[in-house]
Amino acid sequence: MRRTPIVIGGTVAGLVGVLAFHTKSAPLSLPAAAGAAPAAGSAAGPGPGGTRKGASQPASGTSLSPSSAAQQASGVRTAVGPAVNYSYGVLSVKVTVSGRKILRVGIASIDDGGNPRSQYIDEQSIPMLEQQAIQAQSYNIQGVSGASYTSAGFAQSLQSALRSLSAK
Amino acid sequence: MGTIVTIDVYTAAGVTDAEVAELCEQLDRARSVLHHADEVFSTWQPHSPISRLRSAEITRAQAPAEVAEVLERCATARDLSGGWFDPWAMPGGIDPTGYVKGWAAQNALAAFSAEYIVGAIVNAAGDIASLGSLRNGEPFRIGIVDPLAPRQLAEIVDLTGAIATSGSYERGNHLIDPHLGCPCARAASASVTGPDLGLADALATGLAVAGTPGLAFIEPLDKYEALIIGFDGSRRCTEGFPLAPHQGTLPH
Repeated sequence: MRRTPIVIGGTVAGLVGVLAFHTKSAPLSLPAAAGAAPAAGSAAGPGPGGTRKGASQPASGTSLSPSSAAQQASGVRTAVGPAVNYSYGVLSVKVTVSGRKILRVGIASIDDGGNPRSQYIDEQSIPMLEQQAIQAQSYNIQGVSGASYTSAGFAQSLQSALRSLSAK
Repeated sequence: MGTIVTIDVYTAAGVTDAEVAELCEQLDRARSVLHHADEVFSTWQPHSPISRLRSAEITRAQAPAEVAEVLERCATARDLSGGWFDPWAMPGGIDPTGYVKGWAAQNALAAFSAEYIVGAIVNAAGDIASLGSLRNGEPFRIGIVDPLAPRQLAEIVDLTGAIATSGSYERGNHLIDPHLGCPCARAASASVTGPDLGLADALATGLAVAGTPGLAFIEPLDKYEALIIGFDGSRRCTEGFPLAPHQGTLPH
């Protein structure tokens, strides 16, 4: 049942303010988030399975983000995290940010070996994880308790993708 | 343990290169702690000490010292949980997995110590050990997954120390009732906060099996608090559970 060896994603977030949802994100406190929850949904919604990136994004970033113009200054960027082993296979995560704001999170690649149980778990978990990543910054939280295996692989790839973006 | 652990360290502004190097060493140490725990306690590796103990190839006295330490702590957790957490009642022989993940993460957290570290979080697949706080001195905020709608958060917690959540919603029903010896959960999820993640993890496992009546064994424990989410979405918690105030309702 527990097949893969332990893998550690070590991230020294504070050093470079790496994680959009581990931050310094004072602008994204909960009062804003009460309205931001539907907004977050629409952020993930408009591009179902698509690869929205580049010049078309800043407008949607503006409507989403209650935070400063400085965030817009760095523009919209996309990165793909490394392929990470998780209990049911290998996955990698793609993230699009505007400044420090996550606009979109999705799976860049996944191989769960075609096992029906793995596929079932992935189908259940991945939309949840995409949503959680958006929610995490909407609610200004530093972690989620209760998720399990798929989420850890997802988070690791996501963190690496975010790190590569913040490294400029 | 077969899981993934993420570590985040929050530092004071303006750390030096030497301090970064020191942090990287501490990160390496934390990683070694976790790998070592995996080697000793992995129940799916046939040659791990815990597997050899389960198959009676070695005795408890012949196992590495940390095995005795963990089993002793498991016995304490079993007593504190009123027997609802019981590694000795698992099918297939003794299985301290419900304690070890949290214990290892807590030990990994101990690798981080420096005056420029304001806070650190070790997140072992949803079981979280932390020290310190955010840069502004406010506690870390941790979301609890809604077991009935796992795309959503059910609650947010102001975290001091550790939080573990048990439930059967991602991995199917893996919670074993030690009294009946078969899979059985009486809560959709159970979360326990407290100073030590190993004990919190064990108590959350026991509480998910025991259901609401189990809150009675958490209430008298100093510094440990618990929240149960029922299959009908109802919430029950101990008096001091650190729910963070939030405006409006969380989507669920």
